[in-house]
Amino acid sequence: MITASIIGLAALLLVVLGIALVLQPRGASTLDFYLAGRRVGVVTNACAICGDYFSAASFLGVAAAVYVSGLDGVWYATGFAAGFIPVLLFVAAPLRRFGEFSIPDFLGRRLTSDRVRLTAVCVVQLIILSYLVPQAVGSGITWELLVGHGMAGLSPYATGVAVSTAAITALVALGGMRGTTWTQAVQFLVLLCAFIWLTVAAIGSGFHYPEAVDRLNEQPLTNPTATEEGQWHLETERDRIDGEDPATFGEPGARYGSLGQFALIITLIMGTAGLPHIMNRYFTSPTGLAARMTTVWVLGLASLFYALAVLLGTAARSLIPDAAAEHAWMEELTVGGVLKVPEHALLVLGRVYGGEIGLGFIASGALIAVMSTIAGLLLASAASWGHDVYERHINPHASQRQAVWAGRGAVVLVAVLSAAVAVGLRPDSLTALLPSIVATMVTWAFALAGSALTPVFILTIWWRRTTAPAAIAGMITGAVTAITMFALGTVYGDAGLSEMLLTPTIVAAPLSAVVTVVVSRFTTTPAELDRLWLKLHGTAADRHTLRLARLTITGVTGRSKEEP
Amino acid sequence: MVPAVPPSDAGSPPPEDRDPAGFELTDEYDMPAEVDATFRTLRRAAFGYFALFVVVVAAVPGLTLALDWWSQGRLVGGMSPSFVMAAFGLYVFFFVLAVAAATLANAVEDRMLGGPERDHPEQRGDAP
Repeated sequence: MITASIIGLAALLLVVLGIALVLQPRGASTLDFYLAGRRVGVVTNACAICGDYFSAASFLGVAAAVYVSGLDGVWYATGFAAGFIPVLLFVAAPLRRFGEFSIPDFLGRRLTSDRVRLTAVCVVQLIILSYLVPQAVGSGITWELLVGHGMAGLSPYATGVAVSTAAITALVALGGMRGTTWTQAVQFLVLLCAFIWLTVAAIGSGFHYPEAVDRLNEQPLTNPTATEEGQWHLETERDRIDGEDPATFGEPGARYGSLGQFALIITLIMGTAGLPHIMNRYFTSPTGLAARMTTVWVLGLASLFYALAVLLGTAARSLIPDAAAEHAWMEELTVGGVLKVPEHALLVLGRVYGGEIGLGFIASGALIAVMSTIAGLLLASAASWGHDVYERHINPHASQRQAVWAGRGAVVLVAVLSAAVAVGLRPDSLTALLPSIVATMVTWAFALAGSALTPVFILTIWWRRTTAPAAIAGMITGAVTAITMFALGTVYGDAGLSEMLLTPTIVAAPLSAVVTVVVSRFTTTPAELDRLWLKLHGTAADRHTLRLARLTITGVTGRSKEEP
Repeated sequence: MVPAVPPSDAGSPPPEDRDPAGFELTDEYDMPAEVDATFRTLRRAAFGYFALFVVVVAAVPGLTLALDWWSQGRLVGGMSPSFVMAAFGLYVFFFVLAVAAATLANAVEDRMLGGPERDHPEQRGDAP
């Protein structure tokens, strides 16, 4: 047992719960519970979005994917960061200006259709569940390595899943969006500090990035594989672009063929704009302009974060073989100097450079990444069930207090369901099949979001002719195509054309868009389209908010901005 | 001449900006024709930037198929041009593109919507 690490983790959980208690909504208002009163500033919201977005897949998974498959793993970082470009260009400002509570609410109002809202709720819940499960898996993996034993008769892995899920469920149920925003912003800064510390420690120990890549390129890329008898051995990765030649770290082909690389990048790029927990954060901005500038900040911060993640994945690949020879505790984690579970890469680097405290710091970072993303997903789920279903359909006359409690109930139910699915999965049984189990599972959520929601979302914002029946047809087409392709992909493997089956957005998103356009041609647009269009693309509300802010500043300081 | 849409129909102020009687606490509004022109300008710019973005992102893995030098040459220390772009270059490109796109969109909205004369009708000599 690593006492320092456990004390650090306990302190972290207490701080998170303390923030939730201090910042919990004072009044029982759904606007406050779901959207923090729409008063979150640009930098705070950018940090909170980063905390929300940088999940276990980003903190542990990207470095793990780079560690295990070199340049092919770097595409995860590229795709995760690039996803905010479509958000900036097509979604952020109009979405905030329309000003609803959630993606289903936005689509339902824009297309004046309850059926659109309910269809979107189903899709959103599928995406949230697909995203929640790998976060819980990440927390289980971290607990397993950090603490190594379970509680109340549970395995270490199941204990990690249960503890992190319970803690963050309490945070979200108590703190709502206001508490979650501040904890996510702080959590992102902790994650960034962890990466910066590891980078400085690695460079300080003599790690030279370009030379390391050059050295890794001189030998074939090998990874541990378990036999049916449970014996581990190193296996050389073959180059999937150049045929049967061995793959190398710095060249593409270790994991994906030519088509697979494009399919993965497009899946990640398209997926971000359809992620409910990220898009919901844009409703918390005071104006559309603030939402747009928030995205620019997010892109800057994400670029820094992912560049460091790639560097650290490379550092782990380069440094761990020598470290394994020096540290006896690495013996059970490695085979021939290569980690059995790639998600352990940063945790091992943390222990190599900082001992128990270093491991505790990185493990805390991993759990923070998991918890901040789980918080955002649970809030998005609560908004979807509590606002879009309960308030709109089940009890339209619900008081604000009843609606908030419905959201809290939804938080608990969704959290328990995702934890149960995560406990049912054993990550080490899938590691040999997938490059990084956490990053891969998150990719499925991106694929579903990018296939079912993003095309409809963009068309709804930028094409006046989009209709409600078309949006429903588009969402169903995208979701069914993506899920069918996943299922076929798991049967037919991941080579050749079937690479596309596991990252299906390259097929499903265009199909969804085509169906939406075709059905729109044969159906009618909402009756008040002109009024809806002004709300979506006009800036009157932004100017009004800015004028009020200026008046407030003038009232407080006694001077107008224009005065010298 | 397209008539101005009264504030209640402009639909812009969110519900929380209404007073208890349901009236909007603003005199800001947008003209439908101006919003339409702005929307078309922004859509053209957004799709232009998106096309550039797709071309550059696709080029990084795509050049591997066309140029051996792209993935086997050495540019910085031991890194190939492909690795340098994936590890650093694309992030710089994303940020520059984001700043340029946001600056353009802000400028378009600033110039085409909510002109200063509408903020202060009295400056145009309109009746109060």
